Formats: sequence, C-alpha cells, structure tokens
Amino acid sequence: MSLILSGVSQSFGNVEALAPVDLEVEPGEFVSIVGPSGCGKSTIFNIVSGLLKPTSGSVTLDGNPITGQTGHVGYMLQKDLLLPWRTVLDNIVLGADLRGRATRQERQSAADMAARYGLGDYLNHYPHALSGGMRQRVAVMRTLALDHSVMLLDEPFGALDSHTRLLMQQWLLDVWREQRKTILFVTHDIDEALFLSDRVIVMSPRPGRVQEVVRVDLGRPRDVHLTAEMPYTSLKGHLLDLIYGRAA
Amino acid sequence: MSSTKSAKSARVFTAIAIPLVSLAAVLLVWDLSVRIFDIAPYVLPSPQRTFTALQDDWDTLSAGVSITSKEFITGFLIGALAGFVFALAMSWSRLVQRLIYPVLITSQAVPIIAVAPALVIWMGFGLAPKLTIVALIVFFPVVVNVLDGLAAVDKDLVALATAMGGTRWRIFRSVTLPATLTPLFSALKMSATFAVTGAVLGEWTASTSGGLGVALLEAQSRLDVASVFAAIVLLVVLGLAAFGVVALVEVILTPWRRSPVAPGWRTHFRNRSLSTPSESAQSRSVAAAEMATP
Repeated sequence: MSLILSGVSQSFGNVEALAPVDLEVEPGEFVSIVGPSGCGKSTIFNIVSGLLKPTSGSVTLDGNPITGQTGHVGYMLQKDLLLPWRTVLDNIVLGADLRGRATRQERQSAADMAARYGLGDYLNHYPHALSGGMRQRVAVMRTLALDHSVMLLDEPFGALDSHTRLLMQQWLLDVWREQRKTILFVTHDIDEALFLSDRVIVMSPRPGRVQEVVRVDLGRPRDVHLTAEMPYTSLKGHLLDLIYGRAA
Repeated sequence: MSSTKSAKSARVFTAIAIPLVSLAAVLLVWDLSVRIFDIAPYVLPSPQRTFTALQDDWDTLSAGVSITSKEFITGFLIGALAGFVFALAMSWSRLVQRLIYPVLITSQAVPIIAVAPALVIWMGFGLAPKLTIVALIVFFPVVVNVLDGLAAVDKDLVALATAMGGTRWRIFRSVTLPATLTPLFSALKMSATFAVTGAVLGEWTASTSGGLGVALLEAQSRLDVASVFAAIVLLVVLGLAAFGVVALVEVILTPWRRSPVAPGWRTHFRNRSLSTPSESAQSRSVAAAEMATP
C-alpha cells in the first residue's frame, strides 16, 4: 500500500502546467522532486494535498481515492507560517484545533514531541522569540502532529543559512526514521535531494513532466562526509547533466 | 534575576517619568507666558485660575463628565462593533465589498458636522443623534483597518489550513480572526480620542442635557474663559483615559507583541508532566548545536 498518482495532469486554461504523471511512493520512502521553476513541483503538491483538483488522473492513498480531498496528508512550505499569536505548543496542535478542539491528550503528545526534539523549554514561547531553524522545527512538528502517514515538504529549509540547513537535514532524517513517515520533498538543491532521499525525481518544465527517476543507493544512516565520496559525486554529476544539460 | 528586575522597573520609571516631565513643561510654559506677558485673565487664564474654576464649577462639570462619558463610550462601542461586523461581512463576500466600499468612501467625504442638523431633525434632541455622530466617527477607521488586516492574511497560510482539513468557519476562527486584533486596536486607539470630540460636536448641535460640550457653550456665553478651560481640561482627561483604557485592553489581548513567552493566564498547558526526556541523543545534540549558532 502506498501513495499512487496515476495519469495526473493539470491545465490552467489552455496552458498545460503538468503533463500526465505516474508516480508510486512506497510506505516509509523518502522521495525528492527536483527541477527548475515551472516544472510543476508545487502543482503536484497542491494536487496531492487536495488543494487543487487535477484536470485528469487520480490520487490514491493506501488504496483509497483522495483526489481533490484535503486533510489526508501533512503539508509544509518554505515559509514556516506559524501563527504569531499562538505559542509553540498551540502552533503544533493547530491541525487538531482546525478539526475541532485539541484534546488534553493531543496537547500532551505535542508537548512530548517538542521535548523529544529539543524544544521542551520553549512550549509557551511565541514564534517571534525563536530562531529560523527552531521555527522550521515547530512547523515540521505541526505537520507530524496531524498524524498522517504521508508528509509533503515544499522546500522546507530553503530560507535557512547553509549551516542550519545541514543540521535540519540530519534532524529531519532522525525524525523520519523514528516516526516512520513517507516523505515527498521538493527542493531546488541537488545536494539536499541526494543526501535525504531514496529516490530523486527530476522534472523538466513546459509542460512540467517527469524527466527521469534516479535511485539513490547510499545506505543509511547517512553521514555528511559521504557527500564528498565516490558514489555520491557520480550521482550528483548525473543529476547536474539532467537538469543543466550534459557538460561539453 | 534581580538585576533584570531592577532594569525593568527603571524602564517603567522612564516610560512614566518622561511624559510627566513634558506635561509639566507645558504647564510651566503656560503659567510663565501668562505672568511674563501679563495676559488678562479673561483672555487666557493661568493654570491656577483654571483649577479654581474647576473646583468652583465642580458640580456642573462632574455631571457633564458623566453625561459626555456615557455618550462617547456608548457611541464608541456601537461604532466599533458595527465597523468590525461590516469589515467581516465585506471580507466574506467580494460582491458585498464591491457594493459597500464606494458608499463608505463617499459617506466619509460628507462632513459629519454637516450631517448633525439632519440627525437632530430625524432623531430629536435625545441621546440618539449624539451616539450616531460618535459611532459614525469611530466606524470608518475600524472598517478600513480591519479590512486591511483581513486582506493581509497570508494566502499560503489559508491554503495550509485548508490542506490540514480546516473548514471555512474554523479557519476563520483560528487563523483569520486573530489576525484582525492588531489593526483593530490601532483603529480603536485613534478613534478613542475622536469619540470624545464627536460627543462634544453632538452636544453642540443637539444639546438638551448638560454634557461638557454644553458646559463649554454656557461658559462661553458668560465670557468665562477660566470655566471654558476647566471644561477643556476635563475633555483632555477623558480623551487620555479613553486612549489609556483601549491601550491597556490591547496589551492584555495581544501579549505576543511584547513578550517572548505567553503569560501564565493564557497558557492552556502547564509544563507539569512531560513524560520523557529526549530518546534521541543525536536529535538533541543537533538541536543544541543549532541553538548555539547565532
């Protein structure tokens, strides 16, 4: 059972934004989508999250059709979009509040999660008092608290400095391993995609379509040093060729 | 700990002391100009004469304070509530917004003081025309500011809340409505002092009961400048008090704008029973490393 996109396409008026895409993501898999602007990455996310109804095709999750339905997958953007008037804890349980009222138990497990991932002392802080990396971690926890098996992360670390971003990537791999989530990850950063993923989907624009799917057999857990070594560097060269054309 | 406490009390002291000094300076300049230029008391009364008049006329003036207060507070609440509801209705439907907005702008171009006589003809000399004038003055800034606040809500935030499975009403309750608090209070702070002016304006056009505006007119007819000034002082005090109360309510309702941590009465969750310390030592060290970086 898994997340399956079959023949999903999207047109806006006469413009074809996304040519039919077939994609199957295994449970617990980490899949990244890379490609230049306008290749339809965000369109795919909007379709999977249910915000956008595709022009054709269908999305199923564990065999159930979820095409055009919201509330089945976790979703996170580059902007942390934390609510300034809510504390860290209240931001984490936002999803529960949007589906009714967060129960005592939901608040307790949110507090436990914050403690486990290093924000236990900041439960009653407002977001403006936190650093960029801490804010993104709260945003990830808000997505985790929804307790969906699939998480869509749209360039979640794009606005962070490179040092914090590296720490956040390692942290995300810890979270992913512990929580056994399926993650679909959009990024512009080839290194980020390779370091994190089991598979990298390379897309190309006009119309957005899948160019190639690259399997990343690098073993786990991964250490930053592997990014300087052989299998990684040749994979990176291959991805660069796909996106920017073969080197002369 | 005690050093931060004393630093805080020093900040509070300067925050109060500096405005007091500037107010005292105004009184001093007033007093000195009367003395140095030897201004006749029927032209400009000294601060002392003004306070004497305040004492002498206290019965009339204190009655005026309570009447004018009743007018401007009630009118303020009506105008603020109506403005807020209008803004919400206009943000709810584009059609409603397109229909109402031009009418609102046009209505704002009509001088309120010119409408006042018509209001008296329609509503008589009771409380109604005064409340209407005050409410009209408060209404417009509230509508405009709250609409701006609603329009400034991040579209991605609404999309995220939708993707999380929120219904339109719940997104409104948890995401949109709290975002209007800050612009609402900037409008209310402006309107608080305007409301006092509105009440005086209302009393001048539709005066039967003795508010401070009426006391002003009576003192004027007696050429009693000291009493005029006494009434002005009370109007200033009312305006300041109104502003202060609104600012205080704002501080209480929007603590995130001043404090890094939620005040105790706003946290629904006490950090009482955290069940586990970190199970993942690596996560914790990453967190610590990231927090250590500037």
